Amino acid sequence: MARVEPRSRRGLSLEELRDFYREMLLIRRFEEKVEELFRAGELPGFLHVSIGQEAVAVGVCKAMAEGDVFASTHRAHAHTLARGSPPHAVMAELYGKVEGVSRGYGGSMHLYDVARGNLGANAVVGGGLPLIAGAALAFKLRSEPRVAVAFFGDGATNIGTFHETLNLAQLWRLPAVFVCENNRYAESTPAHQELPIEDLTKRAVAYGMRSTSVYGQDVEAVYVAARRALDYARSGKGPVFLVCETYRLAGHYVGDPQVYRPKGEVQELRQSQDPLSKTRPKLHLSEQELSAMEEEVRGIVEASVEFARAATEHRPEDALENVYA
Amino acid sequence: MPEMTYREAVRDALWQAMRRDPDVFIMGEDIAEMGGSMGVTQGMLAEFGPERVRNTPISEAAIVGTGMGAAIMGMRPVVEVMYEDFLTLAMEQLVNQAAKHRYMSGGQVKVPLTVRTQGGAGWSPGAQHAQQLEAWFVHVPGLKVVLASTPSDARGLLFSAIYDDNPVIFFEHRSLYPIREEVASELEPVPLGQARVHRQGQDVTVIATGRLVHEALKAAEQAEREGISVEVVDPRTLQPLDEETLLASVRKTSRCVVAHEAVTRMGFGAEVAALVQEKAFDWLDAPIERVGALFTPIPFAPVMERFVVPFAEDVLAAVRRTVARSA
Amino acid sequence: MATAVKLPRLGQGMESGTVVRWLKQEGERVERGEPLFEVDTEKATQEVEAEAAGVLLKIVVREGEVPVGTVLAYIGEPGEAVPEPEAPSGDGRREEAVPSERVSPGGAVAAPAERAPGERVKASPLARRLARERGIDLSLLTGTGPEGRIVAEDVERAARALEVAPAPAPPPTEVERVPLTSVRRTIARRLTEAWQVPVFQLETAADMGRVLALIERRRQLEPGLHLTVTDVLVKACAVALCRHPEVNVQLAEDALLRFPSAHIGIAVATERGLVVPVVRAAERLTLAEIASVRGDLVERARAGKLRREELEGGTFSLSNLGMYGVDRFTAVLNPPQAAILAVGRIEERPVVRGGEVVARPMMTLTATFDHRAIDGAPAARFLETVREVLEEPGLAL
Repeated sequence: MARVEPRSRRGLSLEELRDFYREMLLIRRFEEKVEELFRAGELPGFLHVSIGQEAVAVGVCKAMAEGDVFASTHRAHAHTLARGSPPHAVMAELYGKVEGVSRGYGGSMHLYDVARGNLGANAVVGGGLPLIAGAALAFKLRSEPRVAVAFFGDGATNIGTFHETLNLAQLWRLPAVFVCENNRYAESTPAHQELPIEDLTKRAVAYGMRSTSVYGQDVEAVYVAARRALDYARSGKGPVFLVCETYRLAGHYVGDPQVYRPKGEVQELRQSQDPLSKTRPKLHLSEQELSAMEEEVRGIVEASVEFARAATEHRPEDALENVYA
Repeated sequence: MPEMTYREAVRDALWQAMRRDPDVFIMGEDIAEMGGSMGVTQGMLAEFGPERVRNTPISEAAIVGTGMGAAIMGMRPVVEVMYEDFLTLAMEQLVNQAAKHRYMSGGQVKVPLTVRTQGGAGWSPGAQHAQQLEAWFVHVPGLKVVLASTPSDARGLLFSAIYDDNPVIFFEHRSLYPIREEVASELEPVPLGQARVHRQGQDVTVIATGRLVHEALKAAEQAEREGISVEVVDPRTLQPLDEETLLASVRKTSRCVVAHEAVTRMGFGAEVAALVQEKAFDWLDAPIERVGALFTPIPFAPVMERFVVPFAEDVLAAVRRTVARSA
Repeated sequence: MATAVKLPRLGQGMESGTVVRWLKQEGERVERGEPLFEVDTEKATQEVEAEAAGVLLKIVVREGEVPVGTVLAYIGEPGEAVPEPEAPSGDGRREEAVPSERVSPGGAVAAPAERAPGERVKASPLARRLARERGIDLSLLTGTGPEGRIVAEDVERAARALEVAPAPAPPPTEVERVPLTSVRRTIARRLTEAWQVPVFQLETAADMGRVLALIERRRQLEPGLHLTVTDVLVKACAVALCRHPEVNVQLAEDALLRFPSAHIGIAVATERGLVVPVVRAAERLTLAEIASVRGDLVERARAGKLRREELEGGTFSLSNLGMYGVDRFTAVLNPPQAAILAVGRIEERPVVRGGEVVARPMMTLTATFDHRAIDGAPAARFLETVREVLEEPGLAL
């Protein structure tokens, strides 16, 4: 039922927590760099960053096991990086280069890394849910102990594929976890204009599905909740709906003036709901150590940009490949 | 050689694929106990069990999308969408998802999904159960589109579709299920992208699909009595398209009629006509004629329905026009 | 309804012609088949006969160059209205004007189609390709397809008709249009073409004593016969060409055309320039016949009234400048012909006969050959035969 998960009694080791923090920091710095590059006109297309939602990505992705798969959304950098795709390959994709995670065919909204279980970021809201049910069906039919995870936002719970997929997944007891990142905005539309209920876990209850929520700014809490959900699904009992209550500390897309948000909301939330600030005190690291980590992460991000800039441009006619197998 | 109905031929292809390959399974609305709304999958539940013969809720987007997900994971699902009119409900999954995952991933995934569906007029189901919408899908790079017109084609093409590593939309025509044809005793796959010349002729080529293949053959017989020698070619797969066979035929006869049950405007025939003028212009001795449904929804009243969709006499009239003769 | 008089196509490849003058005036009675006007084509000036009887109601084009098919005049009953000239821009009025011109029945294959000048020929793509490949002018055909479209069958019918027609041997090549008079234009083109051909010349001299005696004798016997040295040369060349068929040839694109008959072109100077009418199958003609044909051709050449086909199909040419006191000269080939003989004047020259120097009426023969088609030895044998025939005309002719 709907409730915020308390801090896990099992907890994480200090080592794991530092690792998770470092991952969140990498995502944050990576996306800040992406914003900067986009504003400078260096990146084509359009971009959506998950600044503020890093704990959900890291918590869920770190909980997944080898062989598990997931589908992401238009806001995909965090999931992709958290699942272990190399930053330089993700950056190269944003530049449309051959070395990109999607070979330059996908872009920011279509990051794939099948070897790491990333079945693709989907730019149609709710578009990736049936795919995840299908992957889960394959695992079930082949009796493989794997779980398929769908990421989507609160906005997606209003679309038909969400309901069709949850219904089917529960009906067939598929090994799937549906992770709803409730960041309270469907693009620009605030929750109260798009959702007739406040508690999104009710959505899945209607299908008889196990449904929980977790405070999404606490990476440890997310990790524990995701771990439970994955274990449940893997055990063959059926899918889980996991709502992560989170905050988007940035616009819907890079450059979004956010005229639809109350003045000062983002500033205030950045003070109170930043998953990095919330985790930092638990790391027991000195300022010096934190600076060193910061420096290391920035170095990785800078190197990814250097790599991407120098990476291979496609020939125009490469567009003709990969249409058919 | 044994004879099969079109319905049996489709079933036989499914049956044989499922028997040899545990990765093949079927799902759709009413396909298990009921055996499908057209009876195609009758007996399959008993043979293969409920895990591989899966009844689904009425959720076309989920049926197609779930099949696609399983396909991406390496299985070879065959999903059934009861009427092609209902493909509209799965359009997003077909057009944005199934057709594009391979491309967007830069070739990392394959989508060996087969979507079986059926439709067509001729029995007064009204405007939402009788459309022919194949042209929409030929317009989407990444999808393959098959229209089987005979039992042997249905059997061989469906088997090939299942083993194709791309999403294939396999259109059956309701009025063809009872027709019979001799088929090989062993299933012979028909490669996708290979047209079938049903009848040789010298004066006019009729490029027909689906039910109109049979109407074209009837028209050809009548034309023969009038001294017009008609060649009837069925492309069988609209994507990929066997351009060479179509063009070779038109280059031989210098006249071309395209015929399908779908609405003429923006129909597949328009694409064929464009192809022919582009690549066989200097062989054309008459304007290309198009035969298809009138630009209306399919009406209910039988007299109106018959008026709207094309039959042999419409093909014959078009054939006569190409050789500049009137009835 | 008034009948339109249109500029006819007077030979293959003719796209336009220049109306030189009208032989009838407006209001004058015209009979069918009566000469109506003169037209200057690239090869000759010729009279065009009326195809309908009546009164010449209106002359639309008094003179000047117009495309084939242009309406030049109208013939009809006195007082009958004639259609307004068409708007050149081809606005909606064209549609109305066309039917009024559909006066003469179509149908016959070669009959020029009833089509307004400049109107697009409606033909199927296949018909266009076949016409292109077979050198058939679509504008001459009447379409039997829907809406009068020319279809492949129409072109094939026309092609068959052309095959059975007494075709002039080689089709003329396409002409590059330059702003010159038609005849001069042809001369320029042909000589330029000729200049690109690798040629060689052979020269010999013939004792013309017996030819002169023969001509004298024939004139005495037939005072009305204007037999000339040229006539004898035509005959001699024809005989030699038939004895040496390897010289009676032309180089085609991918073949050597070897002609069974000797069609000898004779270079004729006219006011408009050089023309070369052809004496056909000269080997089968007697000297008297040659003289008669040659006389007629030359006369009409000077009057600019040769028909186009009389200028086509030669397999060999002869150019005689003897009457101008020229001793000897070399002629330029007349393509696509592969050989031409240039002859100078007959003059008394000292020659050695039986060990003694004697004066004989000698004539220098200079032949030019297309070396791509003819080798030196057969050419030499051919020239030798010409000389022998001239020196022993009794034996040969």
